[in-house]
Amino acid sequence: MKITKALITAAGPDQRNLALQTLVDRDGQRKTVLEILISEVRNAGIEEIGIVVLPDDIELYKSIVNFDTQIHFIAQDKARGYGYAVLCGAAFVGNDYFLHLVGDHLYVNRSAQPCAKHLVEIAQKHQCPVSAVTSTRENLIPNYGTIGGRRIPASTDLYQIEKVIEKPTPTLAEQKLIIPGLRAGHYLCFLGMHVLSPTIFTLLATKAEQTEGQKFGLSEALNELTTKEQYLALEKNDLRFDIGSRYGLLKAQLALALTGDDRDQILSELVEFLTIRNLS
Amino acid sequence: MSTLISIIKATDPEIKNRSLDEVCKNMTLNDLVIETIAIEQYRKEETNLYNRVRALFFLYAIHRFYIPYQQKVSTRGLLPYIAHEHLLKRRFEEAIQIFLSIQKEHGANEGISSGLAEAYHQLAFQTLADQVKLSVHSTAGNRWMFRISHPSDQPLRILKVLKEKDENSGLYPCLHETTPVRMDISHSCWSDIFFLGMDYPEGANVLNISIDLCIKDDMGSTPRPPIETWFRVIDEPVIRLSSIDLAASSDITDLSEVFDFAKDYLGLLKAAVIASGIVPPGMEGAGLPLSYLLERMVGKGKGIEIASKVNNIPKGSRLAVSTNLLASLISVCMRATGQTEQITGILQEEERRLVAAKAILGEWLGGSGGGWQDSGGVWPGMKIIQGVESTSNDPEHGVSRGRLLPQHTVLSNTDTLGGDIREKLQDSLVIVHGGMAQDVGPVLEMVTEKYLLRSQKEWTARQSAIHYFDEVVDKLKSGDIKGIAEFTHKNFDGPIQEIIPWATNVYTETIIETVRKEFGENFWGFWMMGGMSGGGMGFIFAPAYKKQAQLRILEIMLAAKKQFEHGIPFAMEPVVYDFKINEYGTKAELLNGIAALMHEDYYTLTLPKTIKKELNELTECQRNELAVLSSTYKNTSHYNGFVNNLFDRMIPQVQGENNHQEVLNNLLLELGFHAAQHQQIKNELKTGKIGLSKNRLPANTSIDDVLSEELAEQAAITTEEYHEIGLQALKNKELAIVTLAGGAGSRWTKGAGVVKSLHPFAKFDGKHRNFIELHLAKTAATNVKFNTELQHVFTSSYLTHKAVSGFIVNNNKNSNAVVSEGKVIGLRLIPMERDLRFMWEEVSQKMLDEQAQKVQQSVRSALINWARTNGEGEDYRDNLSAQCIHPVGHWYEIPNLFLNGTLQQLIHENPNLKHIMIHNIDTLGANADPAILGYHISQGAGMSIEVISRKLDDRGGGLAKINGHLRLVEGLALPDEKQEFKLSYYNSNTFWINIDYLLKVFGLNRTDLLNKTLVEQQVYKMAARMPSYVIIKDVKKRWGKGQEDIFPVTQFEKLWGDMTSLPELACSYIHVERNRGQQLKEVAQLDGWLRDGSKDYIDSICKF
Repeated sequence: MKITKALITAAGPDQRNLALQTLVDRDGQRKTVLEILISEVRNAGIEEIGIVVLPDDIELYKSIVNFDTQIHFIAQDKARGYGYAVLCGAAFVGNDYFLHLVGDHLYVNRSAQPCAKHLVEIAQKHQCPVSAVTSTRENLIPNYGTIGGRRIPASTDLYQIEKVIEKPTPTLAEQKLIIPGLRAGHYLCFLGMHVLSPTIFTLLATKAEQTEGQKFGLSEALNELTTKEQYLALEKNDLRFDIGSRYGLLKAQLALALTGDDRDQILSELVEFLTIRNLS
Repeated sequence: MSTLISIIKATDPEIKNRSLDEVCKNMTLNDLVIETIAIEQYRKEETNLYNRVRALFFLYAIHRFYIPYQQKVSTRGLLPYIAHEHLLKRRFEEAIQIFLSIQKEHGANEGISSGLAEAYHQLAFQTLADQVKLSVHSTAGNRWMFRISHPSDQPLRILKVLKEKDENSGLYPCLHETTPVRMDISHSCWSDIFFLGMDYPEGANVLNISIDLCIKDDMGSTPRPPIETWFRVIDEPVIRLSSIDLAASSDITDLSEVFDFAKDYLGLLKAAVIASGIVPPGMEGAGLPLSYLLERMVGKGKGIEIASKVNNIPKGSRLAVSTNLLASLISVCMRATGQTEQITGILQEEERRLVAAKAILGEWLGGSGGGWQDSGGVWPGMKIIQGVESTSNDPEHGVSRGRLLPQHTVLSNTDTLGGDIREKLQDSLVIVHGGMAQDVGPVLEMVTEKYLLRSQKEWTARQSAIHYFDEVVDKLKSGDIKGIAEFTHKNFDGPIQEIIPWATNVYTETIIETVRKEFGENFWGFWMMGGMSGGGMGFIFAPAYKKQAQLRILEIMLAAKKQFEHGIPFAMEPVVYDFKINEYGTKAELLNGIAALMHEDYYTLTLPKTIKKELNELTECQRNELAVLSSTYKNTSHYNGFVNNLFDRMIPQVQGENNHQEVLNNLLLELGFHAAQHQQIKNELKTGKIGLSKNRLPANTSIDDVLSEELAEQAAITTEEYHEIGLQALKNKELAIVTLAGGAGSRWTKGAGVVKSLHPFAKFDGKHRNFIELHLAKTAATNVKFNTELQHVFTSSYLTHKAVSGFIVNNNKNSNAVVSEGKVIGLRLIPMERDLRFMWEEVSQKMLDEQAQKVQQSVRSALINWARTNGEGEDYRDNLSAQCIHPVGHWYEIPNLFLNGTLQQLIHENPNLKHIMIHNIDTLGANADPAILGYHISQGAGMSIEVISRKLDDRGGGLAKINGHLRLVEGLALPDEKQEFKLSYYNSNTFWINIDYLLKVFGLNRTDLLNKTLVEQQVYKMAARMPSYVIIKDVKKRWGKGQEDIFPVTQFEKLWGDMTSLPELACSYIHVERNRGQQLKEVAQLDGWLRDGSKDYIDSICKF
C-alpha cells in the first residue's frame, strides 16, 4: 500500500478564511496556514492534494497555491457538516488510502519526525487506517473527537481504536473511553490528522442518506469504521492549534516562533513586552 | 486458631454462616477474653474488608452481649475521659487501645466492655461507610467530578438548544422531566442496604415497580408522575433553585453556598447540582463567585434555574420520593449538559445506571442515604433488582463480594409477564400512608449488624425471605395476585418481624386486624413498604372490593390514629392513594415558545417577589415571562385559581396567627402560668445571669468518687431479715408507687410532643404494651406475690395529663391507679446564641461522618441565624401551643402530690401508708422489692436512692462526694465534663421515701396537707432552695406534607436528685443490678434491650 493522496477540508462556514491566514513559519518565512499544511503533506511524501472548499472560494485558494497543478480544489455544494466535506473528496481519492487534515488546525512537531510523515509510515506498515491522537486532559475533551481502545502489545504509541465519540462529556468518557496506562483524567483525542481507508466514504455515504439533508460529522463514521476493519491510533506529543478558537492563531504563531529560528528574538521581545505591561 | 476467626475466614457457607451465639453461649469469661484478643489481632491484619467488618461486629457483640453477663465480671469500672473523647471525635482505634490496656491491667468489667462495644460498633459502620464512599467516588462517570477543582477546568457546557431564546415569546426553552416513584412489592427484608448487597449479593433481590400516584379524593384526581423537575437558562449570573412544594426559592451567587446543604429547604437541589457535575464536588472550597463558572458554562451574564415539585406525596411514604426526586433533578441536569445521548424522552440503560450512581453520590453529599433500589423510579414498569458479584472491572473487586450498584432487569410482557398482570395488580392493591413518619436509621443499623453477625434466628428468617421473594416473582409471572398477597403477608408476619420486631406496631396491627374482620376472605394480604410499618403500606383485596376498601381503610386508619395518637408520633393525617404503573421511568420533554412556562405553583411562589420590583429592574427574560404568563393564565384551564392563590400568598394570614396566639395565651392562663416569674427568668437569661454555662458548680468544688463501702450492694442487702421487714410493710400496705410520667420523653420521640408513657413500644404476652401498662403489670405481680394492694400514682403534666388519665380510666378500672396532675409549667424561649454555641462548641459533641458533619454544621449555623433573627431570649410561640410550653422538671412532680391533694387522698384511703417508691417512667425494672424496702426502712433514712454502675451511655451525672458530702449531682452541674468520668455510679432516679420524714423536711406534717396555703408556701420555699437548670431541648415543628423541622429551645428544670444536697434529709444509697436500674431513653436501645435479656427480665416481674 502506498499513500499518494491527501485531502484537506477548508469549507466550514467559520473556517473558510482560516487557511488563508498568514503566519511566519519556523524557518522565518511568511506563509499562509494552507501553505504550512501543504508542506506537512509534502514532507510525508504525498504530492497530490485535494482541498475541499466552498465553490466561491476556489479561485482565491488557487491563487494562494500558485496554481499548483497537483493541488485540486473540490467544491462543497451543501453546508452539511464535516462528514459531508470529507465525503465530497470521495471522487478525488477514489479507492485508495489517503491522508486527511483539517484546514483550521496547525500542527507543531515536537519530535524530529513530522506528524503526517509518521502517520503515513505507520499506516503503510500496518496496512490499515490510522489517526493521530494526543493525550488530553479531561477538561478539554468536550472540544475534540476522543477514542477508546487498548494499547497494541509491545508498542509505546500505537493503540487499537475500539470506540470514537465526538466531543464527549467526561461522564461519558469515563464510562467508555478509558485507556489503561494513561494518566488519570487523560484521554486520547484526535489531532485532526488521519490516514483513512476508502471504506470511510461508504460509511459517510450511508450517513448522508440517513441524515436526510441534515449536517453530520466524521466521528460517527470513524466509530463505525472500528467495527469494519482494524483501525489504529498513533499517539503523538506534537502540538495542535485550533486557529479558529479564541487566540488560536496567536498561540499557533507563538508556538511556531518559539520552536523555530527566531526563538531568541521572540522570547526577548516577549520579556520586554511583559515588563512594559507590568510597569503599566 | 480461634474458633471465631476460622468462622470468619471460612469459604464453606456451612461454616461461614455459623452464628456467634452458637459459639459463645457456652464460653467462660476467660475463653471470651482470649477470643477477643485473637480477633483484635486478626482484624488489624486482615485485608478483606468484609472479614474485617465481621471481626469488628464479633468483637462488638462479645463485649455487648456476652462478657458483661458473665458471673465473674466486675460491675464497677471507670471509663477514662480521654477514651470517651476519642470516641466522640471518631478516633475509634485510639479509644479501643485505651480500653484494651485497662482491660489488660484490671481485667474485664462492664464499663470497659460497654466502651469497647461502642467503639467496635462504630468502627464497623465507619469501615462500611468508607467503602461505600470509595465505591461511589470510584464509579465511572463520577470520578472526574472530584478532580475538577477550578471553574476554568469545567468541561461541561449547557446545550446550545437551551441557550437560544424563542423569537416570538422571548423565552428560553424549558426542559421538563417527570419521574415516577417506586414501590418494593417483595419487601426484601432490608437486603437493599448497600452494605448487605455488597456482603451477600445473592441474597439481595427486590421486585420494584415504578408508579404514578395521586391522593384519592373527591375531585377526580388521576395518578400522574409524582415528581416534576425543570431546567432552563436565565439571563442573570446566578443558579436559581426553587422547591415549589416546599415553598422555597433562592438565588445562589457563590460557590460555597452550593455546598451549604442545610441553610434552607433546597439541600436536595444543591446535591443534584453537585452530583450532576454542574458544580462538581471537587470545587468545594474554591471560594469563587459562581458567575465565573456560569460564564464558562452558559455565557456571560447568564445563569440557570432548576425547580422541583413533588405532587402531594407526604414525607415518609416509603416510596423513595426523595431519592427519585434527586434522580429526576440529576437526570434533567445531565440532559441539559449533554451527558445523555438524547435531551428528551426516556433514558438509555447505561444512563439510568449513571443517574442512580450520581443519586447515591448526591445522597452521600447531603448526609442521607437510601437503599440501592430506591432510584427504581428512573427505570420503567416492573423490574427485578439484584445484587451482583463484583468482577475485575469493578472498583469493589477484591474488597467486597458484591458491587455497589445492582443490576436491573425490566420485566416485559413478552418474555416474562402475563399481559394483564398490571391491571390485576392495580385492581387489587390499595396503597396508603398511615401518617407515621419514623426514623428508620436505627432499624437499618440493626439489620446490618444482625446479617453480618449471621445471628441464627435472623439468618434463618432471611433465608425464608429469599424463598418468599422467589414465590412472589413466580406468582407475579403467573398472574396470581392472591398468591402474591399471601406471601407478602407471610413475609410481614414471619421474617420481617423475626429480624426486626420493631418493624410492626400496634397501630399497623390494629388496622390489619380491623380490615381482616371487615373484609374476611376478600382481604388477601398486607404488605409493608420500606423500613418500618405505619407509613407507606399496601393492602391487597379481591378486585370487586377494592373501591370499597379504599374508602373504608381511610376511616379505619383515622379511627386507629385517634386511638393511639397520644402515644405514637404521627406526622400527618393518614391518606389513601390511587396509583398506576408507569411504563416509562423518568422522561423529559422540551417546552418551547409560550409553552416554556414553569408550573403555575412556581409563579405563586416567586411572583410576589418579582412584582415588587420596578419594571426596569426586571431582566428581559422576566419581562417576557410576565407577558406570556399574563396572557396564558386567562386562557388556560389549569391556571384556574392562580390569582386567588397568588393573593393568599401575598397577603399574610393574620387572622390564623391571631387565633393561634389566643389559644396559647388561654392555655397559659388555664395552667397557672406565672408571667412575672417568667419575665424575670427571661431578663436573667438575656443579661447572662443564667445560662447553660451558669448551671455548673463553682470550679473549686471538690468532686470525688464514692467508695464501695459508702453504699449498699443489692446482693448484700437481699437478706432474709430485710426481706421479711419489707414483706411485712408490703402486706401492711405501707408502700405506694409513684411513676413519674410528666415528662415529654423528648429523646424517645425526638421532640414530637407525644406521651412517651402511652407508647406501646413492645409486645408482652402477645400484645403491644405501653410503659404505664408495664408498670401496672409489675404492681399487679407484686400484689399477687406479696398479698398486698399497692396504690399506684402516675404523675402528669399539662402535656400528658389528659391522655394519661384518659388511658388509666378507660383501661385500668380495676387497678388502684390514680393520676397526680402537674400544675407548674413554663413557656419555652428562643435560645441565646451564646448558649447554642456553648452547647455545640464548648461541650464535647459527637462528631459525625465527614459529610454528615458538614451538613450538621450547616444546620447549626442556620439555627443560630434563626435565633438571632427571631429574638434571642424571647418567647417561643411559633408552634402548636403544646409545643411552646414545657414541664419544669421532675422536682415539682413530688411536691405536686402535696399541692394537688393526691398524697392526702392516698393517706385518707390508706392510713397505713408510710413510704413511696418513686421512679422514672422508663425505669422498667424498678419494682417493690421487699428486701430493698426492708433495707430502706431499717436505715431510718428520709430517702434511699438506687444507683447503677456506670456504662458508656450513662451520662448526666451520678453519685458523688461534693465537698465531702455524699449526694447525687446532675451532669449539667459538673464544673467540667471530665468529672463525670471519675464517678462510678449513675443515678437510676429511683427513690424510696419516708413520707413523714419528707414532709418534715418541707416543714409539714400529715395534718398540714389539708392546709393548701401552708403547703403552697412551704413548697415554694423549698423550690427556692433548689437550683434551676437552663437546658436546651429539641422541639419538632410540623408543616406541609409530613415535613418536620427541629428547633432547639430554652427551658428550665428543677430536678429531684438535688434534694440529696439538703443536710436535713438523711439519704442512703443502694447499688442495684442493671436490669433493675437501667432506663429506656431511646427507641434505638430497644433491640439491644431485647437481645441482652432485659425484656425477659421485665416480663418475669410483670403479671398481665
